[in-house]
Amino acid sequence: MRLRLAGSKRIQPMLVPAALLAIAGCAGSGEGLDANGRPIGEGGSDGGSNGGPPGGPPPATGEFRQIQDTIFTPVCTNCHAGAAAPLGLRLDEANSYAMLVNVPSVQVPALQRVTPGDPDASYLVQKIEGRAAVGARMPLGGPPLPQSSIDLVRQWIAQGAPPATAGLAEQLQPPRVVSTVPAEGEECPTPSTLTIVFSHPVDAALASADTFQLHASGGDGSFAEGNEIQVPLASVEVSLVNPTVVTLTPRGALAAETYRITISGSGAVALADVDGRVLDGDDDGTPGGDFHATFTVTEGTP
Amino acid sequence: MNVRSCLALAALLFFAAGAHAEPYFAVRTGLKCVQCHANVTGGGLRTPFGNAYAQTGLPARRLRVEEEPWSGMLGRYVAIGGNLRANFDHVDVPDQDERSAFDVAEGRIFVEASVIPGRLSVYVDEQLAPGDADNREANVRLWLREGTWYVKAGKMYLPFGWRLEDDNAFVRQVSGINMTTADDAVEVGLEYGAWSAQLAVSNGTAGGPELDNGKQLTLRAAHVRPTWRAGLSASFNDTDAGDRYALALHAGIRTGPIAWLGEVDYIDDDGLGPTGRQLIAALGEANWMPRRGHNVKLTFEWFDPDDDVDEDEQTRTSLVYELTPVEFLQLRVGARVYDGIPQNALQNREQYFIELHGFF
Repeated sequence: MRLRLAGSKRIQPMLVPAALLAIAGCAGSGEGLDANGRPIGEGGSDGGSNGGPPGGPPPATGEFRQIQDTIFTPVCTNCHAGAAAPLGLRLDEANSYAMLVNVPSVQVPALQRVTPGDPDASYLVQKIEGRAAVGARMPLGGPPLPQSSIDLVRQWIAQGAPPATAGLAEQLQPPRVVSTVPAEGEECPTPSTLTIVFSHPVDAALASADTFQLHASGGDGSFAEGNEIQVPLASVEVSLVNPTVVTLTPRGALAAETYRITISGSGAVALADVDGRVLDGDDDGTPGGDFHATFTVTEGTP
Repeated sequence: MNVRSCLALAALLFFAAGAHAEPYFAVRTGLKCVQCHANVTGGGLRTPFGNAYAQTGLPARRLRVEEEPWSGMLGRYVAIGGNLRANFDHVDVPDQDERSAFDVAEGRIFVEASVIPGRLSVYVDEQLAPGDADNREANVRLWLREGTWYVKAGKMYLPFGWRLEDDNAFVRQVSGINMTTADDAVEVGLEYGAWSAQLAVSNGTAGGPELDNGKQLTLRAAHVRPTWRAGLSASFNDTDAGDRYALALHAGIRTGPIAWLGEVDYIDDDGLGPTGRQLIAALGEANWMPRRGHNVKLTFEWFDPDDDVDEDEQTRTSLVYELTPVEFLQLRVGARVYDGIPQNALQNREQYFIELHGFF
């Protein structure tokens, strides 16, 4: 059939559905893929086999791994992934935990995306339940999550929002820092607390001002000049419900400056996990080495 | 504005339903987006011409034929517009209970103050529903040469591909550049003869806080003829999470009563997965106008979420009937069928909707 440009009265409208339907049916067969469309055995995700995507059997426990595999990866990462993630919120496996737990919401900064122990006050829950103060219910434009999936998220948060349980290989590794809030290199308003998430439960007896230190750069943004100033910490607390999370509270508001968190994995007093394994602070796969994370407060008390 | 005008405005806001951009209007009329929208790349506030078209060219019949038509202008300097979209959705996901719900999908209001008419304007696009107010766009635009060159700064939708009404279309979702991801940016634009081009530099955070020094560069250029148009878009986003490249070709053509739209997007994102992924999304759309006030929209979309993985492709087919019975009011009835890998129920859902859309 020949198309005629504007002005033709002989165009056949039936050409439209015929042409488009002719190329329909081009979806993949899914052969060799898991429920998230990834090759089986690729690693990381279990592909939703714990419960499949929303609509499958409800997972039995509030494990973060299950949330990642049954909600974030198959549903949320359609948009919230990569450099174009809306509001900078990336929910892919590598980033979701660090971008959710104890991180302020962009739309309602007074609320954390996930407040461990408090599902009702967690913006993530408000968004998927459709009762957030700003914007539409998530997933945007898609069907609401099944109640079983929402319950899974609620349960995980109520249990303290622990990170995914380490796999066997991870369990054999020495403890390391998974994420910090503020993150390495981040520029942020004055944080009231600093949060560090470890791969293993931390020995609370070793969590103190001896193993966790905070320094200001002395105004030059560098920590090699010898003019750094130690910032006293009011408290160093290991979460009771989730001992992989440590919260540091500075004594007083942090001024606009560059700061460095130091966690001791060497020297006379080194941080260790509950099994006595010393922190792998320099992330070289072996115990030992100090951990450093630098961030800059852009709006602080002068 | 007197009380009657205020009431009329409030009524329009209440009963209206989403006036997003609909690029098939541009293809059908052969006009540039800027002819009908204050935003050069389409969407949002209508110009007086756009409002006149909405009253004379769109509806099956006019209710107000003897009065002065609504132009959106409140005096010489300030223009106002808005839309509200009220939906009834029914979703059928395999192996789940079917769901249906009423909801206000969107209510937005647009205000533009042309403090120096034709040269300098301040524009705000605010979402009023659902939930509390949420700013979508807020920018100032200066035409360096009236109608030809402009520079715009503030929060804005980035120029990329077709600015479709449906933000969930694969090409809108996969590109990550849509009306939910306005960014803080500076944009330079050119409107010259049949050419329309924009270059924007933005934070590249899709509306989120800037956490690194990397920026996003977005370019869109289109050649617009009375019966066809074609354009190229490119975007590069430099972030700590990984670089992202996006390329899009879009085109439209009018054949008799049918306005055709097409777009193909290619995205290479280092931040997806452990080693990065390449994604491809495509859209083909036909808009058939059997007679004035009626439009039948058939859309086929295709999405490959990872070019290196076979048999993971998804499709989305939509059939939507749009009736504009009178000016400023549209009824949309549609069905969307998703088709994807069988082991993912969401990729195989069906959605049916009725939408009342009012705008001004």
